Amino acid sequence: MSAAWTPVALSRDLPRLGVMPVCVDGMDVALWRSASGRVAAWADRCPHRGMRLSHGFVRGEALSCIYHGWSYGAEGHCLRIPAHPDLAPPDAIRVPVFHATEADGVVWVAPQAPDAMPPTIEGSALRSLTVEAAVDWDAVAFSVSGPVARGTLSGVAVTILVQPLPNGRYALHALTEATASPSVLTEVSRGLEALRRQAEGVFA
Amino acid sequence: MAVEHFIIAGDLAADSFLPWITRHMQRLGLRGVPVRRADGQVEITLSGPPDLIDAMELGVSLGPIDVWVEAIGRRRLENGEVS
Amino acid sequence: MTDPIRDEWYPVAMVSQLHREDRDTLLLGEAIHVTLRDGQPMVTASSRVLPSQARYGHVWTSLGAPARPLFDIPEADQPGRRLVDVGLVRVKCSPLRAVENFLDIAHFPFVHTDILGAEPHTEVGRYDVAIRDEVDEVWATKVQFYQPQAAKSAAGGITTEYMYRVPAPTVSVLYKTCPPRPDEWDVITLFVQPLTETLCEVWPWMALFDDTTSLTDLIHFQQTIFLQDRSILENQQPSLLPLDPGLEIPTRADLTSVAYRRWLKRRGYSYGAQLVAA
Repeated sequence: MSAAWTPVALSRDLPRLGVMPVCVDGMDVALWRSASGRVAAWADRCPHRGMRLSHGFVRGEALSCIYHGWSYGAEGHCLRIPAHPDLAPPDAIRVPVFHATEADGVVWVAPQAPDAMPPTIEGSALRSLTVEAAVDWDAVAFSVSGPVARGTLSGVAVTILVQPLPNGRYALHALTEATASPSVLTEVSRGLEALRRQAEGVFA
Repeated sequence: MAVEHFIIAGDLAADSFLPWITRHMQRLGLRGVPVRRADGQVEITLSGPPDLIDAMELGVSLGPIDVWVEAIGRRRLENGEVS
Repeated sequence: MTDPIRDEWYPVAMVSQLHREDRDTLLLGEAIHVTLRDGQPMVTASSRVLPSQARYGHVWTSLGAPARPLFDIPEADQPGRRLVDVGLVRVKCSPLRAVENFLDIAHFPFVHTDILGAEPHTEVGRYDVAIRDEVDEVWATKVQFYQPQAAKSAAGGITTEYMYRVPAPTVSVLYKTCPPRPDEWDVITLFVQPLTETLCEVWPWMALFDDTTSLTDLIHFQQTIFLQDRSILENQQPSLLPLDPGLEIPTRADLTSVAYRRWLKRRGYSYGAQLVAA
């Protein structure tokens, strides 16, 4: 188990009542946001019959499994088993909970409590994209520090957060200068896609 | 809260069975200590909500792969009764 | 020496489709060819001719030597019933998971919302489950559930009564309240063809008392249900069906599931099963 933060999503891609599957250190994680805006990251498996919780639904401050509706509260403990409405579920029925935090428009997850907060990130969220191979950051003159790569695309300062995925794939979460105009952002977005094609060895 | 006594019969010789029972009990938040009797049967006195005692019976009836549970005898104990 | 897996009968084609074209498919990971010869089904694996028969609208075969005849569904021969081939749904899951899901009612309000179930009617009452030794089948009876639209012929919500039957490891037969004929049961089956341990094709088939609903609507209704189930089946972990529930929390509502798994365990039926919880 790792004690480092992994960037898993841009905050704006996880709306209130939203739930999505993400990957942290090779583990499947259900990432969700409650009605009040709280972000949580849990093992992506319902303890009842093994259904992925990332297919579930959020009501209020609870995440429910889509299969049989078992719902779980903020600490991952089971709140309700709909087939047995009169049963108060025991504290023992729990979904394993990861550490999750949100800063500078980015959601970070760690399996174990990290010693420090995630690095400070400048800029505003642009987009996330998946790359089928590792990016050669030296080749594009980006400087890398942990999961953070910084450089310029189309003349704009860009910060890219790198999230390793299984099978040699990566998710890249990109942020740019807040002042960039829409047309410049379109250029930067094209630059990101060029970066992807280059990493994947596709030149078209 | 209910207290029940289980007598588990079947092909239960595998060493894995008692620890398996204890683990499953903990997952359901139930209390009890499984004991292997001289005749090979396993008994437990369990306490917890009735629906979860039902769930325990169900889980144990399937059990680990190297055990075959043929039958589970259940008896509800009244307050203060000792199994 | 009998083989609990290869000696079973399995569905491998819909007879009506074979009139149009032969079928090349997989059974337990082995390539097979299904065709009609003089109106009778013929199934071959490499050059070996396998035992085969046409029944309940489908072709049944075995890679081994079946010790028992194909299970009986007497309602198939009852006058007045409509026999409906629903077609095929391919699902990336263990064939045993497909059967287990078919035996489950607690998911109706969440997976088949406003069709087979709806909140707040989520409680699963007590029902009876037994392994009937004389026929070696799993039976669940007195299963009741509130349904907003139990069948294509049902207008409005009713409490539906069900019986479930598992006559073979990859087959389940459901008997449910028949709205136009209160003294009869509608029969809906799930015939599952195990392509591999983690890939199956599911052939629902029905024998109904329903003279009014169009065939298209009947098929569409069942296909809607099975496509909703598929999104569950392809996202359960592990993909094999655990015969050890040590990483799950079955409750009384899962009684039929547990009885089915126990029955598989006793028969030594391990194809598509996970033996040790991991």
